[in-house]
Amino acid sequence: MSVTQTTPQTGAPTPRQVSLVDCDIHPTLTMPELQKRISERWRRHLDRFGRRTPMITEFYPRTANAGFRLDSWPEGPGGFPGSDLGLLQTQLLDEFDIDYGILNSLGLLNCHEMPELAAEMARALNDWMVEWMDEEPRLLGAMVVPYEYPELAVKEIERCAGDPRWVQLIFPDSAEDPLGSRKYWPIYEAATGHGLPIAVHTAGYWPHLDTGWPSYYLEEHVANSMRMQSQLTNFICEGTFTQFPDMRLVLTEAGVAWVVPLTWALDSAWEQLKEDSPPIDRRPSEIVREHVWFTTQPIEEPDTPEEFAQMISQAGLEDRLLFATDYPHWDFDSPTQALPRSIGDELRQKILAGNAAELYGLPLAPPE
Amino acid sequence: MIDCDVHCAPATLEALEPYLSDYWREYTTTAGIRLLGMASAYPPNAPTTGGPAPGSYEALREQVLEPFDPRLVILNCLTLCEAHRNPHYQAALASALNNWLLEEFLARDERLRASLVVSTVDTDDAVKEVERLGGDPRFVQVLMPIRADTPFGNRRFHRLFAAAAERGMAVGLHAWGRAGHSPTTTGYTLSYVEDYLANQVIAQTHVLSLVSEGVFDAIPELRVALVECGFAWLPSLLWRFDKDWKGVWREVPWVKERPSSYVRRHFRATTAPTHLPLGNDGATRELIETVGTEILMHASDFPHRHGPSAAASYELLGEEAREAVLDSNAAEFYAFEPAAVR
Amino acid sequence: MKVVVAPLEDFPPDTRKLVRVGAREIGVFRVGDSFYAVRNRCPHQGAPLCVGRVFSRIVSEQPGQFELADGPPLLVCPWHGWQYDVSTGQSYSPGDPRVKSYGVSVEPGSELVEGPYVVETYSVTVSEQYVVLEA
Repeated sequence: MSVTQTTPQTGAPTPRQVSLVDCDIHPTLTMPELQKRISERWRRHLDRFGRRTPMITEFYPRTANAGFRLDSWPEGPGGFPGSDLGLLQTQLLDEFDIDYGILNSLGLLNCHEMPELAAEMARALNDWMVEWMDEEPRLLGAMVVPYEYPELAVKEIERCAGDPRWVQLIFPDSAEDPLGSRKYWPIYEAATGHGLPIAVHTAGYWPHLDTGWPSYYLEEHVANSMRMQSQLTNFICEGTFTQFPDMRLVLTEAGVAWVVPLTWALDSAWEQLKEDSPPIDRRPSEIVREHVWFTTQPIEEPDTPEEFAQMISQAGLEDRLLFATDYPHWDFDSPTQALPRSIGDELRQKILAGNAAELYGLPLAPPE
Repeated sequence: MIDCDVHCAPATLEALEPYLSDYWREYTTTAGIRLLGMASAYPPNAPTTGGPAPGSYEALREQVLEPFDPRLVILNCLTLCEAHRNPHYQAALASALNNWLLEEFLARDERLRASLVVSTVDTDDAVKEVERLGGDPRFVQVLMPIRADTPFGNRRFHRLFAAAAERGMAVGLHAWGRAGHSPTTTGYTLSYVEDYLANQVIAQTHVLSLVSEGVFDAIPELRVALVECGFAWLPSLLWRFDKDWKGVWREVPWVKERPSSYVRRHFRATTAPTHLPLGNDGATRELIETVGTEILMHASDFPHRHGPSAAASYELLGEEAREAVLDSNAAEFYAFEPAAVR
Repeated sequence: MKVVVAPLEDFPPDTRKLVRVGAREIGVFRVGDSFYAVRNRCPHQGAPLCVGRVFSRIVSEQPGQFELADGPPLLVCPWHGWQYDVSTGQSYSPGDPRVKSYGVSVEPGSELVEGPYVVETYSVTVSEQYVVLEA
């Protein structure tokens, strides 16, 4: 994948082009480590009372090796998949020759906590990720913010945004309000002002129910794709993109194929119901094509791989797909194996690196 | 042509008075209960609503039977969705609605069939109603509007499905239902269009549930119709469902084949709404081919309107496929007599 | 080519050892008194298959039925969870790739389904108190 080419005349190596960007890596800051990094007042609070927000694993245990690749547990006590930078470097970055990887931390993507606690935890998590980025130049970061408190979230954005290694903000795919809601607009305003895309990552802990509780992890896992459908629908219907014409949305870890029938349904419904929601100022499929990117993992695998390629081109998604491994989760996509062979080289290169380089303004030459 | 989804509804509670006991008549009067015509789901003046659901056989004949000349019609009455949670009221109202359907419609025209209205808050009451009327072949399926408290694969529903299957009845999962939870797992919807589109996602939740909970392993004869839920979302859902099942099937070991096999065998979907891209014949054809015309059943969803996409899609079907969608798929699914050869 | 894996006494039941034979890594498993060997590479996406857990088969006709069954156990890939019969290398679910098979008699099992790939398994014998892999 990464090849040093020589220019014909001089024989000197031309700079290597970025050829693999992993747009979804999950580092873990364990709770004991996080507690060391916040103020005494809140450390005591967590010590005594813990966090209030449930973890999704309490409702739907990950019946696949507790959710992680079995080989991703670091040796030694206190380790957790994603908590050891060294293992991440060897097992992921080095193993697959990854040029850039984006750290999407999931630890605070279920965060209904007291405002100051939420703000401090976000700060601690961001500062910890900076340490990793300092040590490993291939890593870039998704900024976490106390999203239920837009004023505090904006403060955190202003604190961090000067560091160009923050390439996006990260939100969970379920929160108190649907994410297109006005409540979150101040956050989008600040992020967009700094040119930061908004990544929405699968992290649901079901603060809302449509038709009640499923019983099994299998159902919950598939439902991640459905929840993202609802969020995308909401962003469009609440006119968030109309309000923020420069906003870029990265829908992460929800798969891709569903966007095609969804945009068809949105277009069809909008034709009939335009009057209902004036903030949708143009055809929804156009809005999606202008504002939305998708990470590939977990990539759908139809029996006929051609169906997948067809679907990508029907939706005009060639420039919108971003490769992701989802390391260290169990449904990890291997950079060398996951993409269907039927995808042509040009599209493959876009998905593996080109689209991400353009979206995130990455330098074409990889870090040394 | 078989029309698998035509709406009807009593215009007022008065129409149901002959079928309600004195107690319930007093109750509804005292509590100021009025029928709202499912106004939340079908706002009277919304472009997709079309008009009120026919409240009498005469209206049905005039608005549907004469203009469209179906050979069979399946009537869906969603009125119970407006009922609150008093389980005794639900049971009483369900029976009243079914008796009304029998007298007002089914007894008056051989072409008419109906979904059986059953309690949405008590499974035993629902089973009782299936036992009461499910033997009547004119009730072809048990109506289950999809906005509910629990996904329908849950064990609490299995005895209802068994009762239905024993009597050769299908189960009809119909859009909308009782308001309660937010329509989406992301929160409440401020616009109607978002609420309208939520039905598709909720239907997916039930598909996942029915397969994952082994309903079809426990009751192999059960058939499920997705009514007014759309169908274009099926291929992408099934790709995902099959793939995830391969990874975690030990959690649900009774699901012995890939989920898409169960779905193809046990589910059908009506064609209203059809949300396929107008003017993009290639994509429309491909999607229909991937879904498979054999699982589509024609419905007008009268009086509701979902745009020109359904009619446009029919134009793209070959003659044999169109005939199947318009008639023989439903005939086979509901064990109707095949259409007379012309 | 025969490779001595370990003395029998150093290979307790229900343990496994990873052996490198040339360019290949092979996992040798002892289950009770039986030995199995499979390639340490899941055909799906290349995961180190032999790091995975070993499970019994499950028989389940109805929802709520969870009977662990006899028969060669299943090696579950540590990534996506695809399962392989360690004696034949066949995966358990319809249509899945299987580990490649070398000259081992295929034992038919009622739940096994033919897949599109040929899997590599290897023969293991015990000879004079040594566990010997033929790879």
